[in-house]
Amino acid sequence: MIKTAFNRKFLLRELVHGWRHSLLFVLCVMLSLMTMSALNSFKDGVNRSVFRDARQLQGGDIILHSHYPLSPGLTDKVALLKERDQSIASTMIHEFYSVVRSAGRQSTLLADIKVVDEHFPLYGKVELGSGGQLRERLQPGTTIVAEDVLTRLGLERGDVLQIGSGGLRIVDTVVHESDSPVSVLNFGPRVFVAAADLDVIDLVGKGSRIKYEMLLALPEGSDLQAVAAGLRDEAIAGQERVNTFREEGSGVKRFFDNLLFFLSLIAIFTLLLAGLGMQSCLTALIRQKQETIAVVRSVGAGTAFLYRHYVCMVLGLGLVGALLGLGAGVALAHALPMLFRGLIPVQGTTSVAMVDLGEGLLLGLTVVLLFTFLPLYRLRNIKPVAIFRKENVSSRRDGVFYLTIVIAAAAIAVLITAQLEDTRLGLLFTAAVLAFIAAISLVANLLVKMALRLNLQTLSLRQALRSMTRAGNASRSVIITLASALSLLFVIYLMEHTLHDTYIESYPANAPNLFSLDIQPDQRQGFVEFFEEKPQLFPIIRARLQAINGEAINRSEELRKKRDNFAREFNLTYRDGLLEDEQLQEGESLFTGAGSGDMLDVSILDTVAQMGDIDMGDVLLFNIQGVEVEARVVSIRTRTKSKLYPFFYFVFPGDTLRDAPQTFFSAVNMEKDKIAALQSRIVERYPNISFINISETAEDLEVLMGKLSRIVNFFASFSMAAGGLILVSSILATRLERTREAVYYKILGGRKSFVYRVFLYENSLIGVFSAGVALVVAHTGSWALCRYFFEIEYIPYVSATATLVLATVFLVVFVGLLSSLSIVRQKPARFLRENGGG
Amino acid sequence: MRRRIQRSLWSIAALLILWGCDNGETITADEPVPRKEVATGKIVALGDSLTAGLGVDLAASYPSLLQERLTQQGYNYRVVNAGVSGETTSGTLSRLDWILSQDPDIVILEIGANDGLRGIDTALVEANLNKILKRLKEEGVVTVFAGMKMVWNLGVDYTSHFNAIYPRLAAEHDVLFMPFFLEDVAAESSLNQADTIHPNEEGYRYIVENLFPYVIKAIETAENRLESG
Repeated sequence: MIKTAFNRKFLLRELVHGWRHSLLFVLCVMLSLMTMSALNSFKDGVNRSVFRDARQLQGGDIILHSHYPLSPGLTDKVALLKERDQSIASTMIHEFYSVVRSAGRQSTLLADIKVVDEHFPLYGKVELGSGGQLRERLQPGTTIVAEDVLTRLGLERGDVLQIGSGGLRIVDTVVHESDSPVSVLNFGPRVFVAAADLDVIDLVGKGSRIKYEMLLALPEGSDLQAVAAGLRDEAIAGQERVNTFREEGSGVKRFFDNLLFFLSLIAIFTLLLAGLGMQSCLTALIRQKQETIAVVRSVGAGTAFLYRHYVCMVLGLGLVGALLGLGAGVALAHALPMLFRGLIPVQGTTSVAMVDLGEGLLLGLTVVLLFTFLPLYRLRNIKPVAIFRKENVSSRRDGVFYLTIVIAAAAIAVLITAQLEDTRLGLLFTAAVLAFIAAISLVANLLVKMALRLNLQTLSLRQALRSMTRAGNASRSVIITLASALSLLFVIYLMEHTLHDTYIESYPANAPNLFSLDIQPDQRQGFVEFFEEKPQLFPIIRARLQAINGEAINRSEELRKKRDNFAREFNLTYRDGLLEDEQLQEGESLFTGAGSGDMLDVSILDTVAQMGDIDMGDVLLFNIQGVEVEARVVSIRTRTKSKLYPFFYFVFPGDTLRDAPQTFFSAVNMEKDKIAALQSRIVERYPNISFINISETAEDLEVLMGKLSRIVNFFASFSMAAGGLILVSSILATRLERTREAVYYKILGGRKSFVYRVFLYENSLIGVFSAGVALVVAHTGSWALCRYFFEIEYIPYVSATATLVLATVFLVVFVGLLSSLSIVRQKPARFLRENGGG
Repeated sequence: MRRRIQRSLWSIAALLILWGCDNGETITADEPVPRKEVATGKIVALGDSLTAGLGVDLAASYPSLLQERLTQQGYNYRVVNAGVSGETTSGTLSRLDWILSQDPDIVILEIGANDGLRGIDTALVEANLNKILKRLKEEGVVTVFAGMKMVWNLGVDYTSHFNAIYPRLAAEHDVLFMPFFLEDVAAESSLNQADTIHPNEEGYRYIVENLFPYVIKAIETAENRLESG
């Protein structure tokens, strides 16, 4: 037995000899740690700024809301909280509509009045025309208004605005409010009034419709949920609402939650991918070293000796990779804010504590050990006899194997739970990941078994298949590794696009920002003439849905549904063609043109079809303000653009409803600054027309979504990189085998072209199998994620997936062939001499 | 001479009857009067979300409750819910042809709240309502005209102009005038939904309670007109 505890030369030689695999190994470790550390240091920053944005949108940490003055119980509780903790800030807001007038009462305007005290705003900023601070500029006796008010009333700064019973002097204009709520549509421009003037204007009292809102700002790290719950206990149920800023404003909140969850997912996936890469690298490395190890053993080295050196090597490489990874992660965290200035909302340098670094290092080494344990363990199975016989390292499924699996599973569970910060979710996810790995192994094995049964004519193809399915062949594990990696990558790709399309695409730049309502039939001609580009007018006929296929709508049941339901009134419309963003999903044309006897044709939107389980040919009974109308579904449409474009659940053919009572509405995209003037002109002629101007909101949203989408794209690319590494390492892992086979073929008389063809087919098969398995698993995973975690609609992305599969196969073949070039050139005799026969 | 006195007596009697019929007094409900079967008549409830029943079951909306009560008391009338949430007086005017095509005997007109909430010029609101009432009269429809009052936060100028529209028009036209549709209900938190402007089921019951006498009166008027040819 060799007594030396440690032989540096041996170690070094081993390192150098398998440099390719060692390098890949280091890269995998580095990548996984880089992602983890960058993401984690980022996460805090992203969290803070994402939530800062969300908090700004809501204006406070906790929001109390009612249409009646807040009850004494609630206000007392707030006072108590503030007494206990002096750092809690609060502000009271009264918001309501009122008809404001110019001093001489010549012109009037419906305005959105906001009465605020000196603490407003708690978060965010109100940008004023003068550049000053709201709480300084808004003094008793004064008012600050939106530019639109001045334009539409013909007033200037310094003039008096009549609000209720009081006249207040206009001292400034408001350019932008950071807490413009995204869900509220406002009918009038903003007017700020100081709380001290509440009695002066005398508009708040019994018989008024007022929104009473109190916002609270709590110190960093407070348990918002707990405080909100405590306040909720004091609130009058059904009348007073208490929410944290995360619960208010459902649409944007959901996006933030999903975004952060997705980022966590990416971190986990990258970790898993890198781990897989590490494992395959190491397996390949050891396979390569098989003979060396056999030789060393045959001269007396014990298992302990081997372990010492190889574990040392692995840890050493792991350490190098980990340090590089952490360093890169820190550098990234510092550099990124500069690189993406203004794009990614992470501000300031994120300081990295030594504790964090130490933690990261420990994590990195743990991950390394976890994923490399099994290959290392298999070292012991390499017996000296392997010098003489080409025995592959047997993958015996013994007790140790299963124990490793269990420990690995537990460790993965811990990692995932720590990342997601939620035990239940973490365990659920781990179970899903493990199921996924098991599924892949199963499917891969199944495919291989099926392939074995195939009777192929072409020799090269047969050989390719045979070599792939040979017992102990690395190809099977390559397929599993590749398939796992590809699945994860595909899922990220699919989810990223789904999130993008669901949220970011929903607020495109040229979406309508001005809606005009209540245009009467005889006003159409005159209305469109106000616009340079004549806008499209959509007829609206209000009606209720009474029955589907004879079955009456159960209104009380419908009203209980959380999402859209059939109990409400609908806007029917009529036209002869599809809208720009509509597509026919079912039915050959929008309408059949025939009409079925008494029944009209109707085309429905796919969302409605889903809502009520309605199919082609179903009969719908509508009640149009007392008149019953029956219609048969002749086509189903789907929309390709965002929800901000007008959409119609029920569309009737052009002639049929032309005489029904209707109003018209238009949706246009206009330059923000021109809207107010246009509104004034239109209202002067047609005072009944109302407008909804969401230009401010749309702009805010666009900026926000853009910022956030860049974050998602950036982190997703880490995973792509990991995937690429795995691909390369997996292919390289099978290098030795190919070399042997190439040699054999040549000995048997095969020409270079034959060998190339076999490799081509084998790589193609590996690629196709892996991609195929990945495809199935990824779509299933993506569907499950969409449905249960993100609660958004699952989009199949058929063509994108097809492209991905093709790209994968191409890549596998390319890399495989590239690495095979040198192999094919090997001279048989030399190889046999160096590697022994057998 | 006798004929002259007879004619005078008849005139006086007619005047008395007419005077008793319509001078804007609040009519209170009496004991239910047993009715004999008459041909089916149609009452169209024409209005906005307060008629359509936004936020409550259709069965809890005021036209449904009204129908229930009429049937219970033996009035063979059908109540049609022609309420459209969000509608303004302009919208009602535009769809008047459609409504009249249904041949209503009686129309309960409750509209204008949305004009007010959107701060629409009160002159326009009045002009529209005027046209609607005129048209209904021309078609021989008996009209129950429900008055509306605007929320106070819009400002005393606006609300006073708005509130004055309804009594003024009622005086000008030959209608049964219910001064305020949401009498006893508005501003009572227990009778309204969380948005404070739409009544809940209980609130609509109150409304029908207040509205019923006017509907009965309308039915009587309609039937008298029928009988007198």
